[in-house]
Formats: sequence, structure tokens, C-alpha cells
Amino acid sequence: MRLTAVDRKATSLGLYVGQPLANARAMLPALKVMAANEPADLKLLERIADWCDGFTPFVALDPPRGLLLDVTGAAHLFGGEQAMLGRLCASLQKQGFKVRGALASTATAARALARCQDGTVVPPGGEAASLAPLPIEALNLDPVTTHAFRRAGLKTIGQMASRGRAELTARFGAQLVFTLDHALGQTEKPISPRLPLPDYCAERRFAEPVVTQDTILSTLASLAASLSEVLERHGEGARRLEAVFFRADGTVRHIAVETGSPTREPAVIALLFREKLDALADPIDPGFGFDLIRLAASRAERCDAAGFGADAKEKKEIRFLVDRLAARFGSHRILSFQPNDTHIPEAAFVAVPAQYAEASKLSWEKIREAREAPRRPLRLLASPEPVTVQQGEKLHFRWRHVLHVAAHLEGPERIAMEWWRHQTPQPTRDYFRVEDEEGRRFWLYREGETPRWFLHGMFA
Amino acid sequence: MSGTVAYAELAVTTNYSFLRGASHPRELVETAARHGYAAIGIADRNTLAGVVRAHAAWQEIEDEKPKLLIGARLVFADGTPDILAYPADKAAYGRLCRMLSTGKLRAPKGECVLGLGDLLRWQEGLLLVVMPPQPGRTQGVPPFKKTWNNYLAEEEGGGGIQPPKPENNLRANFEEIQSLIRKLVSIAPGRVWLGVSMPHRGDDLRRLCKWQRVARAASVPLLATNDVLYHAPERRALQDVVTCIREHVALNDAGRLLEANAERHLKPPDEMMKLFASAPDAIAQTVRFADRIAFSLDQLEYNYPDEPVPPGKTAQQHLEDLSWEGAATRYPGGVPDKVRAALTKELRLIGEMRIAPYFLTVHDIVGFARRRNILCQGRGSAANSAVCYVLGITAVDPMQIDLLFERFVSRERKEPPDIDVDFEHERREEVIQDIYARYGRHRAALAATVICYRPRSAIRETGKVFGLTEDVTVALASGVWGSWGSALKEREVRQGHLDPYNLLIARAVTAANELIGFPRHLSQHVGGFVLTRDRLDEIVPIGPAAMEDRYFIEWDKDDIDTLRMMKVDVLALGMLTCIRKAFDLMAVHSGMKMDLAGVPREDPAVYDMLCQADAVGVFQVESRAQMNMLPRLRPREFYDLVIEVAIVRPGPIQGDMVHPYLRRRSGQEKIDYPAPSPQHGPPDELYQVLNKTMGVPLFQEQAMKLAIVAAKFTPEEANGLRRAMATFRNVGTINRFKEKLVGGMTARGYEQDYAERCFRQIEGFGSYGFPESHAASFAHLAYVSAWIKRHHPAAFACALLNAQPMGFYAPAEIVRDAREHGVEVRHVDVNFSAWDNTLEPCEGGLALRLGLRQIDGFKEDWATILLAHRSNRYDAVEDIARRARLPKRALVILAEADSFQSISIDRREILWAVHRLSDSEGLPLFDAQYVEVQEPEILAPLPVMRLSEHVLADYQMLRLSLRAHLMEFLRDLFRGEGVVSCGDITRAPDGARAACAGIVLTRQMPGEAGVVFITLSDETGIANVVVWPRLVKTFRREIMGSRLLLVEGKIQRSPEGVVHLVAERALDRTNELERLSEDAAGAPSMRSLAGGHIHRHPRNVRVIPKSRDFH
Repeated sequence: MRLTAVDRKATSLGLYVGQPLANARAMLPALKVMAANEPADLKLLERIADWCDGFTPFVALDPPRGLLLDVTGAAHLFGGEQAMLGRLCASLQKQGFKVRGALASTATAARALARCQDGTVVPPGGEAASLAPLPIEALNLDPVTTHAFRRAGLKTIGQMASRGRAELTARFGAQLVFTLDHALGQTEKPISPRLPLPDYCAERRFAEPVVTQDTILSTLASLAASLSEVLERHGEGARRLEAVFFRADGTVRHIAVETGSPTREPAVIALLFREKLDALADPIDPGFGFDLIRLAASRAERCDAAGFGADAKEKKEIRFLVDRLAARFGSHRILSFQPNDTHIPEAAFVAVPAQYAEASKLSWEKIREAREAPRRPLRLLASPEPVTVQQGEKLHFRWRHVLHVAAHLEGPERIAMEWWRHQTPQPTRDYFRVEDEEGRRFWLYREGETPRWFLHGMFA
Repeated sequence: MSGTVAYAELAVTTNYSFLRGASHPRELVETAARHGYAAIGIADRNTLAGVVRAHAAWQEIEDEKPKLLIGARLVFADGTPDILAYPADKAAYGRLCRMLSTGKLRAPKGECVLGLGDLLRWQEGLLLVVMPPQPGRTQGVPPFKKTWNNYLAEEEGGGGIQPPKPENNLRANFEEIQSLIRKLVSIAPGRVWLGVSMPHRGDDLRRLCKWQRVARAASVPLLATNDVLYHAPERRALQDVVTCIREHVALNDAGRLLEANAERHLKPPDEMMKLFASAPDAIAQTVRFADRIAFSLDQLEYNYPDEPVPPGKTAQQHLEDLSWEGAATRYPGGVPDKVRAALTKELRLIGEMRIAPYFLTVHDIVGFARRRNILCQGRGSAANSAVCYVLGITAVDPMQIDLLFERFVSRERKEPPDIDVDFEHERREEVIQDIYARYGRHRAALAATVICYRPRSAIRETGKVFGLTEDVTVALASGVWGSWGSALKEREVRQGHLDPYNLLIARAVTAANELIGFPRHLSQHVGGFVLTRDRLDEIVPIGPAAMEDRYFIEWDKDDIDTLRMMKVDVLALGMLTCIRKAFDLMAVHSGMKMDLAGVPREDPAVYDMLCQADAVGVFQVESRAQMNMLPRLRPREFYDLVIEVAIVRPGPIQGDMVHPYLRRRSGQEKIDYPAPSPQHGPPDELYQVLNKTMGVPLFQEQAMKLAIVAAKFTPEEANGLRRAMATFRNVGTINRFKEKLVGGMTARGYEQDYAERCFRQIEGFGSYGFPESHAASFAHLAYVSAWIKRHHPAAFACALLNAQPMGFYAPAEIVRDAREHGVEVRHVDVNFSAWDNTLEPCEGGLALRLGLRQIDGFKEDWATILLAHRSNRYDAVEDIARRARLPKRALVILAEADSFQSISIDRREILWAVHRLSDSEGLPLFDAQYVEVQEPEILAPLPVMRLSEHVLADYQMLRLSLRAHLMEFLRDLFRGEGVVSCGDITRAPDGARAACAGIVLTRQMPGEAGVVFITLSDETGIANVVVWPRLVKTFRREIMGSRLLLVEGKIQRSPEGVVHLVAERALDRTNELERLSEDAAGAPSMRSLAGGHIHRHPRNVRVIPKSRDFH
């Protein structure tokens, strides 16, 4: 494991990027480290890029920690190039980032300057002069090439540029010369701006704003149909759908529904939105009407062609019911039971929102073998209820004031508590299946040194 | 003892079923004895690895004890339910071993793949207990692999392994068990049982009824077990933890992988009786089962291989003949009387003990090496006998040193003698393969090493199980830096800035403490060979090691000791390689034929050199501590060297015996012998033990002898003491020994203080003890290497470099030392260098030509190609490219290392030219741009390379520079700060204050005291820095992280002239090294600009070689 980033304090203590963690720890046993999370870093960079959209639409990522902005024609909006750079950096700094920036005619030059001379704005044609004193590392070449130049005594971009182009090409390839020329402002290379993520989206504009509920619903239905086509083409289905209503006066309203499994049937989608719109505590207000309605699948997943067989159909219907109920009442209110992997009876199941229930891979423990009585009751009491027991010839126990006499008894099933979860040791339970003289079956347990008895459930 | 119920537990899993059982075999056996069991059977999963431990524990129980049964739980890969197999007699035991070996050989290391077919083939004489799987619980069989059956094709008659059937419901199991029982009964009638346990699952009784029916139907007896995983219910927690480690889950996610309750422990017989109240016969059956077993590990009779003995002779006769023959060769002028007497005596003793075959076997192995011209030398308790000398096993002349042979071969204990043989480390493999070729893989195998959980691994694994983040675990683990074997203590937890009272951490630490010492897996021993006359794989299962063509048994050296089997250690020693290479060089260049025994003895020049601590590269005495000792001890004869080697060891140091010895040696103190009170014994009883070392015990056996003579230990007790020390097994025993030793000595009138020092010394010997014989063998190698260094410094340095990595010093120090001794060292050159370092004739002797192997990153294959096409010489870089067609990368490395000096002197121009060459490996990127023949180029000159940059580049490529020392370029800077050179430090007066800066060569933290020794180097020499623990804490970062370190402190000069700089402050000045690469023009360094975000070339990161650190 190696360090991938160090803060100012760490740098001052002599740690550096690429240092083995063990060495760093040997120096500073109390060193705090966090696991690098590249996807998260990239996401953050993308978020900053999004924010930069406010300055220019041409923003490109320069990972791991750079952004390239093509501000051609945009600088005047901010009072000139220097002012624009200043403002951009200042606002990013305000957001808590450490920023270095530079502005030049080519991306490579700007990048090199940003690394070494923060805040530089190079007038057109001044690249060669500004870059000449910079170390060649500023060009971000591969380490082997950089090393070769350093070893040859060519340590600045100026020294590198002083060599013949043929000489360089013969040694390091055309790419290097291209990069160098680009840095010096002698060739052009446009940046490739970020593309929006592929998105499933359908929208309709209205010349005359729509007001009535019916039109809105039928619009959603037809949008659902076109969205469904796109989804089907990509073999995907939506797990989350969002309808966006743009009001003529500029306000925007987002309404989202979620589904338990990837869905793309237009009828289903339409129905879900109908449920949702009906149940809104704060109904949408068309005001002067909507001039644009957009339907987007904001989360899509692979969706295989519907399964076959009666079972599949039944499952599908249940899922649809769940989705409808969830759309109406909120997904946190439609629950289903999930098995939980533990020996402790009352913890062996949990209730989770039904739309997410699919995720569990665990199957229910078999509580009965073929031709045998179940080992555990299907349902347990909310909490075990104490019973008083007299053990004579037969087991007598009193539960809720009623005395039961055990006719048959099997056990014990001994279940020890999960020792690592409790502050103090919990007593081990001995469970018994008990049938009383009237044929009622109970699940009792006993715990503790001087036994205390509880009823935990009844068999149907 | 409880009740009258007789019960034997047969399904016992120990922690040698790795990560399944949660108790040591010892705990299980002792608990069984306490409960009054009739018998206890150890049956680990497809292994016999733990049985000897159980046997040893069983032997130690003095009261009435249960019968110990040896077996294995066979876990099949083909879905067959587990079967416990217990051999009824020795032959059946042999078959069980063969079967397990078969299973191990077809699987990768550490696994064992068995099918029912294997059992059917080897079942004769095995008592079999079918263990129905517990419902809902998996057996943990590895997923079926088709390749398993590939091995089967080669095995004659082995049953094929079928993939397990997927169905796994109770009913199917039920039928499967029935048919399995039927099959077994038809093949092994009267030897099949059905094992049942009562795991408290609720339906226990019903299941018991069912199995009773099945058993009755098949007319096999039902056998009660508790399917034991640990000795006492308290171990449930640890069992849960090891389950989680095994399954790679955290406790919170483990769920039903864990056992539901804590019932799988050894229960008192009457409790078992209660559980099986409805099937009392199942209990009675356990005892009947145990009664049918007539096998015990005591019956394993080890026999020596008889290959070396020619027909018609006894081993003893043959050994005697060989010995006298050898004596005649060793002493051409006639065997001296002293040796003759020793030989006669030793041979008589060997005859009495009937261990002649052992000596012959070692002689045989040494013979292989001799025929292949591989240097070797024996050591170990029996090695320094006259017999070993005349047989050529050792080179220590019995005339030179007298060792009492019978002291090491104890007549009473009938223990086999111990001889380790060191071979050249690069060629040991040849010897090993020779052994296999001669004895066969079924008769020769390496011993195992049981890899146990150490504090660090234990806390790392348990931390994961408890869901502690890696950060916390690392903090906990780093708290135990370097401390082995002892438990994690609260202090260490605190050191990691963690709260030991945090419940989670406390539990993790508790579990980790319990886990320490648990076996984790088996690994091959470094070189301990077990050889037998009969099949070894009928004594113990043999399996493949991770290394190809290596096989090892399931028992480690303690187990082998317990069973009194013989082991020969075939070890690798780097110094022998070095000496061999030096001998070869001397033969080529000076025409001298040399061998270990032939080096001129007692050469005063060699001792003069050693007295001046001029010992870089000399075996055993080159370490910092040894170099400090040399001028104090001033060795003048061989025995002084023996003492020198033994004295700088934890034993004498911890026992505070070093200074008394030195004082007596220099005549500052009277030599006297501690004596008991007159009524207890003669005042000179210790004279015999200690007279060779001026009354101070220095060697391990002296300390043992002391225990016998002064504290009246029996030889067995003394040996037990040594063993208790060697493996800090349990604190209780050690304290008992301490009381006995100290108490025994003071009771007899010795001083308390002296007695305690003796004990501390024995404690120190524990893990790193050096017996005298051992020290003598090492001292001999030290003398030989010192002799070569003194008389053939070029050959010595060359051989030392070619034998790297070894020893304490990096190539830079070896080269510097050679140059200080007048050896001319020449730079690597494509036209003159070979892969190895070589010698070239020069004015006034031989010069050392650095070899291509010194260049970092250069491969041996490239060197071979380069040399093959060199014919006469290369005239130009293009010449090499054209003729040798090396990859461009290789040429760049050569150019960077400045190895084209014979072609052109300008390093940069060559490098620039090399970059232009096309790559014979044809990287697509470069393909199009080059043509085979290149136009000559006219180029502007490149900037001139400054000397400092040259030196830096040399260090980066070769880890040394012949041009200058890096520190020279910084000298002005440091002088300006008032920092003196290492040379100044050596001359400074005692008590002076000084600051010194240098490249960190080595960092050492010997023992647990926490003192750090640092060696700094600059252009004037080296300086020794001592950092006391308190300071280590403050300056840890500087001490551990610096490459260039500045130390301020006080000079400490000993009367013998050994100088230390005792650190008071340490500063990391590594950054100064960056100045060296800056040009005068001053391109700003990237790091200062970009705050460390630039990716640096690895060579630039490692500006200078990493120091060698020993902890």
C-alpha cells in the first residue's frame, strides 16, 4: 500500500506521494490514513466541472485533479481573462478547495503553468517565453521520458525546446514533439468537453400551456410510451422515474416514483404516476399551465425479457402491486419480511421496504422437514412473555392467568446469545416445543441459573 | 474424577484442523484426563499434524490417564459423509498415513483430496465411524475440481473421485448414510460404527431414534460422541472467531455459519450418559471401540537408513574404518595421540549408543556435496567431534579445541545426536535433490514448521472479525513492533492511541491473545531432513510444499524430538557461497587450491587485522556489536574467536557476563570460581565447567552444566529447562525452573545475585543460544573469511559482492572497504564486465572489475547475450544494438550506469544516442519512426554533467559510486553549519559534543530494549550513533525515515578506542540530496513547486539506496 495523496502537514513531515504506507507508519506511528477512493474523487471532480459550466460550456476533465476550460469568447463576460481566472479560482477556494490556475492559448501550456506558476495569464504568442524556465515535469510526460531528459541535462522546457525536432522525434516519438509544440502554442488541439451521461428522457413542449389533469396524464402516458421504446432498445428498465413539469412562469416541479424491479411497460409507468399524483399531499398546481413536460428514467438497470411461467407472472403482479402501493403511500410504508442470518429467533427476520426486498440472497431457514412438525412457530410474540412453571410429574405453566399442562414436550433446542453484541453475557436459552393437554402447541424457553420461563410463540 | 460411567470421546477436533478446532491438543488431553475419560481419540481433518502434541501432553500426565487414540477425520471431496478412521495396529496406521499422503499429493499444498475409493483401498485394519452430517451445516468440502482425477490416472488402483451429488436434504442424507454403511460393512465387517451426537438442536431424541433404527438394520453399533471442537465451553467465543477467520466474514455477518450454542466441548462422562440415556449402549460402545485399538505412537520405531553401509559390514565397523582412513588423510604425518584417544573414545560411545548409521548418513550427504564441489560444514551438538573432523563433516581440528563429545551426546536420554550441515546457499538445492534421488521421496522428506499466530497476525485477523477498521488493527498491531510470542498488553493497546476498555477492542484483544500460539498452517522447515530405512510415508503423511519438488511431513522438529526420530539439517549459508567463490577466484588468478580445512591456521596477521576491528564482510564478526567487541577482546588464537562469536549474543549479554569476562581477560579482575558452602560440595565444583572461559559462563552448555552442578538439576531437567526457554511455551514452567535454579543454587550457598544472573543468561540463550561446538564451527568460518580478506582482499571483495545479498553491508561499503585495502576497483563496462564481478590483473596485483549484476534492473539474460556477441569488443553503441539486439531498455540502463566508458567517455552523449536506437523488442509506438541504418546526426552539445550529478546517477544505478561520496558535495554546506565529518568523530575526545551528518547505512534495534544503533557514512568513513529509547520516541520519524541524517550528541570513547556518538537530537536532512541534481543554471526542483503532486520516476524517489535495517 502506498500513499496516494498527502496534506500540507504530512508533506512538511517528509511524507510523499508514492511512499509505502509501512515506511510512513514507521516514521509516524500515529499517522491517520484514509483509503483512497478514486471513483469518489472523480465524482467530486465532475461536480466541480458541473459548477464550472457557469463560466463556459466547454469544460473537460483532466483527471485525477485537473479541469480544462475553454474560455474562448467567454472572458469578456467576466471582465477580461485575468479577472475571470481570479474569480473562478477565488470562488473555488471559497468552497474549500486548493486551486491553482493559469490561462494560455493551449491546454498543455495552461496546464503546465497552472502546476508551476499559479495565476499566470499568458498573452497569445507568449507561451514559449513563459514556459521556457519551467521544469520539464510540468509537461506531465511519462516518468521514463522525463527521467531521460533530466539525465541528459535538459531540465527545463526551454532546454527541451532548444533541441531539434527531428532529434526529439527520433528518440521519443512524434507524440512528444506534438505535446511540446502544443505547449509552446505552436499547434492547436481542441479540448474534448464532457458529454452528458446517456440518459433516457422524453419530453413534450406545448405551444399552448396545458392545464387540465387529463391532458397531463395522457401526456405522461404518451411520454412513457416513447421512453419505453428507448429503454427497450437498450435492454434496460427504469428503477426510478422522474416527471418534470415546467410552468410557463418559470417554476419547475419534480415528481419521482420508484419501482421494485426494472420497469418499462408504458401502462405501468402511467399508472404509477397516476397513483403518485393522486396521493400528493401538495398537489401540483398548473397555474398558468405547463409549457414543457419531461419524463426521464433517472435510474435504469439491465432488464431481461420477462420470465415465463405462472410463477413469474404471479411474482410480477405482486411487484406491480407493491409499486402501486408504494407510489401512493410511500415506499417506506410498504414492507416485507426478509430472512436474517442468525440463530436468535426474534432476530431471524427483519421488515424492509418491499421495493428493495429483492436484493437479499439469503433463503429462509427450513423450519420443517418433510413429514415433520415445524421446529419453530411461523410467528412469534412481539416479545417473549414470562410464564410461571411448576415442574412436577408433568410440566405445568401459567400464561396470561391460564394454566396449561404439558402433555408432550420436546427439546431442548439450545441457543446461545450472540456474545459479541452484548455488554454483559446474556443467558443461553433452552427452547421446548410443548403440547398441552388440549392439543395447543407452544414454544417455551427457559434461561438462567435459576430458570426463568418464557413463552415465545405458538404453533398454528 | 467423576462417577462410574466409562466413556471415550472419539470425535475430537483440535486446532490442527486449522481454523476449526479451538483448543490445543494439550488442553483436550488434559481435560479428558480431568474428566476421567477412558480414552480420547484425536481425529483432525485429513491430518495427523496434531497427534504428536497430544501424545507429548499425554506422556506428561503423571496420574491415571485416558488411553490416547490416534486417528483422523476423513473429509471427502466426493460428498461422502465424514468418517473417523482409527488404526487398530501399527500396520493400519501405516495405511492411514499412506492414504493421507495420497490425498495430499494430488492436491495443492495444505489440502488433501480424498474419495471414498481411497478409503476402500486402504481400509484394512482401520476402525471406521461414520459421522452423519449435522442437518443444516455444511462440511466445508472444497468445491470439486476435475483436475483431481488427472492425478488419479497415474496412481494405480486408486478409486476415482466422483463429484458430490447436489441434493442435500435430510432424507437423501439418510439414505446415503444407509448405503454407505452397507458398503463399508461388506468390505470391513465388524469395523464400522455409526457415530451420533446430541447437539441440542431440539429434535435430538428423534434423530437418535432414527439412527438407532438405521444402525440396527445394518447391524452396526451406534457410537456416542460429542463431536468436540474445544475442550471447555468458554472456548465458544474463540471458535466463533476462528470460524469467521476461516470464512472471511465479520462476526456480525457470520450468522448461522457459527454454532448455535456452546455444547461441542468435552463433557463429563455422566453428562454424556444423561444425554444418551435412551441409548446407553452407544456410551458403552465407545469403550469397546477404544479397547480394540492396540496402537500408540510409542510403537513407531524409527530406523536409520542403511544405504551408506556396504554389504557384509555393520554400520559400526564401516564407521570405524572410515574414521581411521579419514584420520590418516587428515594427519599425513601420523595421527596425534590426543586425536587417537579421542577417536577411540568417541567410536566406543557411538557403538554403545548404536548411532553409527546417523554419522554415516551425514557423511553420505556431505559426500554428495564434496563430489559436486560444494562447500559445506557441519555444526550442532555432535558436530565438533574428532569423528566428524576425520570424516570431513567439519573443519575444526580437534587438536585446536577440545570438546567433550559425551557432553553433547547424552547417554541416558538415548536422544539422537544433532548435526546441522551448512551448504553454499546457491547450491543447496542440488544437495537436496541428491538426497531425494538417493533415498526416494517416500523415505526422505523435510520436516514441517508449524506457523503459529503471532501477536501481529492474531490481532490483524481478529480485528477484521470484530469489524475493526484496518486503521485500528494496524495501530494495534504496530504496538507490538518486534515483540514475539508475548501477549498484547494494555500498554501496547494504549501505544496505538486506543482505549483498552472499549468493549470491542477489549474483546478483539482478548480473542487475539487466546489465538496467539494457535497453529495457522504448516510450512516446510528450512532444511531439516527426515530420512528412514522403511517407508517414511507409513510413519507420517507427506505432502507437497509450495516450492516445486519439495515435500514435507506433517510434524515439526519438536514432534520429531518427541518421537526420537532423526533429522539432518541441510541448511544454506551465504558465507560458504562467498568462500567458495573466493577460493575459485584464488585458484584462477593465483593458482592456489584451497579448502576449508586447508587454510593456514593461527596466522598472526589475521588476528592483527581483527584486533583493529577491520572486519567488514568477515563472517559473524562484522556486525556493529562484534566490531565494538573485537578491540576489547583482542583475539589472538582460535579459541578467542570462538568466544568472540559466542559472547555477543543475548545470553551472555542478558546474564551480564560480558564485562566480567573482559575484565578478567585484561587482568583487571581476579579469576575465581563461585563456590557453594563447604558443607554442600567442593569449592572447585565449577572449575571443571568454567575454567576454559575464565570462570564466566559464556556457552549454552556451560549454563546447562551449571544448573546440573550448582543447582543439582538432573540432566533431563536441564534439558527440559533449555527447551522451556527455546519456546516460550508457558510462563508457569519457566517460573518453576527459575525457582528451582535460583533456589537450588542459593540453598547450596551461592550468592543470590550470581544465581539470578545465571538464570537470566539461560533465558537469553533460549532462542538464540550458541553452544560451544556451534560457535567453534562459526568461528572457523570467521577465521577463514578473515584470512581471505587479509591476504586476498580483491578476491574477497569480489566474492562477497557476487554472493549478495548477504551479511550486513551493502555493496557500497564492501567496495569502499576494498579500496581502503588498496584494491583497485574498476567501473562496469560493456567491453570488460561479466555478469559477476571479476578480477583483472593490474599493476601490483589484481583489480576488481564490477560486474553487470551490480547494475540495478539489468537482467542476467541480457548479460549473457551481451557477452555472447562481444567477441573481441564493441566499438560503438550501434554496434551493440546491431550485434546483440538487446532491448532498448537494457541499453538505456547500461548507458545510465555509464558502462560505455571504453567506447566514449561522455555519459550524456551516449545516453542521448541510445535513446535514438530502435528497440529490438519492437514496441509498436516506436516502430515506424526508425530505420535500421540511421543517418549520422549533428547535434548541439548537451549541458555538461556535473560531478555531483554523476555520483548521484551512479548511486541510482549501482548503489555505489567510484567517483566520490555524495557527502563531499554537501561538505561545504554542513561545514558552514559546524557539522563535522565521520572521520572527525572517530578522532574526537571522550565527552565532547559534536554534530555529524551522513548517509544512513544501517539501522538496528537489537532485542526489546528499544535502543537504536545507526551507522552513518560519509567520504571520510563511518560513524556509529547510539539512540537511547527515550530519544527514539521523540525522533522516531527522523530515525526511521531519513536517508541523510544529522545527529547532534556527545562523544563516548571507550578505553579500547571504540567511539560512539550518543544522539541528543536528530534531524532529517534528506532534502539536501536534491541539491546534487540541480544544475548550476538552476532549474527549479519540481517538488518545491508542486507540493508533491508530481509522479516521480522510481529512480528519483530512491535517490540513494535504502539503508539495511534489522529489527
